[in-house]
Amino acid sequence: MIAKPQTLFITGATGLVGGDVLERMLRADPTMRAYALVRGAAGECHLRSTLGALAARVVPVRGDLLRRGLGIDYEIRKALTREVTMVVHAAADTTFSRSLAESRMVNREGTRQLLSLCRAIGSLRRFSYVSTSYVAGRALGLVLERDNGVGAGWVNAYERSKYEAEALVRESSLDWVIFRPSTIVCDAVNGRVSQVNAVHRALKVYNRGLAAMMPGERNDTLDVVPADYVSDAIARVTLDPHASAQTLHLCAGAGAISIGDLLDVAYDLWATDPMWKRRGIERAVLADLATYNLFAEAVRETGDHRLASILQSLSHFIPQLALPKQFDTRIADALVGHAAPAVSSYWASMLAHLLASNWGTARKAA
Amino acid sequence: MLHKTASLPNPVIAGISYVFPACNRSVRQLAGDSMLQSSAETMEAFGFSNVHVGTSETPYDLAREAVSRLLVDNGIELDSVGLLIYGGTPGTMAFSPADEADLASAGFCTTDRFKYPSARLQYDLGLTSASVFGLDQLACTTLLGAVRIARSLCMTEGIERAVCVASEFFPMHAGREAIFNCTSDAACAVLVERSGPRNQLVSGSTVTKGYYWNTDAMRDEVVASYFPTARFVAERTIGNAGWKPADVDWIIPHNVSMRSWQILSGLLRLPNAKLWSENIARHGHTLAGDNFINYRDALDAGAIEAGQRVLLFSYGFGAHWTGLAVEA
Repeated sequence: MIAKPQTLFITGATGLVGGDVLERMLRADPTMRAYALVRGAAGECHLRSTLGALAARVVPVRGDLLRRGLGIDYEIRKALTREVTMVVHAAADTTFSRSLAESRMVNREGTRQLLSLCRAIGSLRRFSYVSTSYVAGRALGLVLERDNGVGAGWVNAYERSKYEAEALVRESSLDWVIFRPSTIVCDAVNGRVSQVNAVHRALKVYNRGLAAMMPGERNDTLDVVPADYVSDAIARVTLDPHASAQTLHLCAGAGAISIGDLLDVAYDLWATDPMWKRRGIERAVLADLATYNLFAEAVRETGDHRLASILQSLSHFIPQLALPKQFDTRIADALVGHAAPAVSSYWASMLAHLLASNWGTARKAA
Repeated sequence: MLHKTASLPNPVIAGISYVFPACNRSVRQLAGDSMLQSSAETMEAFGFSNVHVGTSETPYDLAREAVSRLLVDNGIELDSVGLLIYGGTPGTMAFSPADEADLASAGFCTTDRFKYPSARLQYDLGLTSASVFGLDQLACTTLLGAVRIARSLCMTEGIERAVCVASEFFPMHAGREAIFNCTSDAACAVLVERSGPRNQLVSGSTVTKGYYWNTDAMRDEVVASYFPTARFVAERTIGNAGWKPADVDWIIPHNVSMRSWQILSGLLRLPNAKLWSENIARHGHTLAGDNFINYRDALDAGAIEAGQRVLLFSYGFGAHWTGLAVEA
């Protein structure tokens, strides 16, 4: 008997992880076809330019997670429900500073709309949801993959909205798997950064001498991962029948780096530049959260707009530094076949890339 | 940096005197006169209440008065003073009341620039045996710097007795606020002696970051760097004294905002109860010598007991962080 070819429906394919997942799945299965949800012509162009020849097997689908029925054309919807065998939902609003209502619109309600569509897909075998390890929110200590973050609360609306979306996925009657990537800091272990995010911006502020105090303890760890580990894991485990109803921490886990080392490696690298060193920027001091908050409050009260604005932008995630946790990765390691690379193996390369590209601005200018 | 030296006794602080101008102003009055950048409420929330503002007095008048009191109060024979260090308001500006400082500043372009307040002090007070030094450009750490130099010269050149004095008026056109701190005019004099039973100058440490020389332009970075550098200097001062942070019985602050001291105490993991902060509301922040004014008042109040370990710390515009470890 000839197996029916797989047809993927993917959201977030124009993003770093979603795009890489799509490419990996198409390469792994030459018979696979895909529908990719895009919001407009720019998304279609992006797919064509990044996928090259693989784009011939991809049908861009105009739609929007914010719209009822995802705003998908009726005929396309019929085709999706007839053909799709697996869904990867990688689209998200990852802006930490959104209000809860705004974050819920894409992350929770968008997921609800997608699940509704999926219930009408007759031959759907797998629904893969790309969440975040930070649904654990304010939890401390070891966070197991089966933990659902209940009770600790969250640092920002993004974390909470992803937690709520996970709950919708679990409650669905679909065959689901939930991926919880940690914070992605580079494309691969070569340290290249193609998407600058909040962690990079915090490092930039530190480099500029404007973030000399951070909450946390030296020996607490920060969990980050490279994008290729995450997308490889999603692409492979989505096809794995043993992954049904599993939640995977795509995290550094035991390979996370201590905050002290993280800051020291950055400082020591920057200090190799004599002009930077001459400025006398002090190593960042780590404070308890109460002291750090007092500093932020003092800056706000004094109306120092630039510094206040920086601290405000950091406030949506930096408290996580003072909420030490270690993500258990045993289920992910077993299903993926290996652990994520140790952060120490690429942290310095990533920093060097950030510096060389002036946090991405040099690349844009070019 | 100064290190504790086992073979030589530590010089000591043998006396402190200070003088404020007669005029007092509340932060609300200053806000009403547009002399503050922040609101009166913010200044009050930061712990400030009153400051002293020079009007008819000159910086030199205050310096002379502070040293005179120091000499009289401590029964000092004038010939026994081997060193006089004057810090603060420079040249002819030291001889002018605040409202004539603009005119006086023109003196820097003439031979009037050689009319030094340090030399005049030596003459006016009869300190004829004293070598004279002027110290400048250390802002609010000037007197700490002067005491560190006096300590070193007592140890290395055998000077038995030194007088350090700083007198500073905040620039008249600059209002009364400097990086969220409400400022006073004042003079403070410190008597340093080669040895003595109390108030040993155990160690000191200074970090200067010239990158921040243009303080107004670098304000954000100065604010951001203030705390990590302050912690570094405080810990190095404590370490040079052979102490651990927990050994410190009292922090004698410069009178900047209470909020900033709460933050620095948090970074040093020292309880706020160890901060002697009584003078922040009473006097505000002087450029001349908060730490020594506070140390004197804390001694007079009986707060500091003999043998207790005391950290004096100050930051000066431009940018200098200085700590001094004193065993009371």
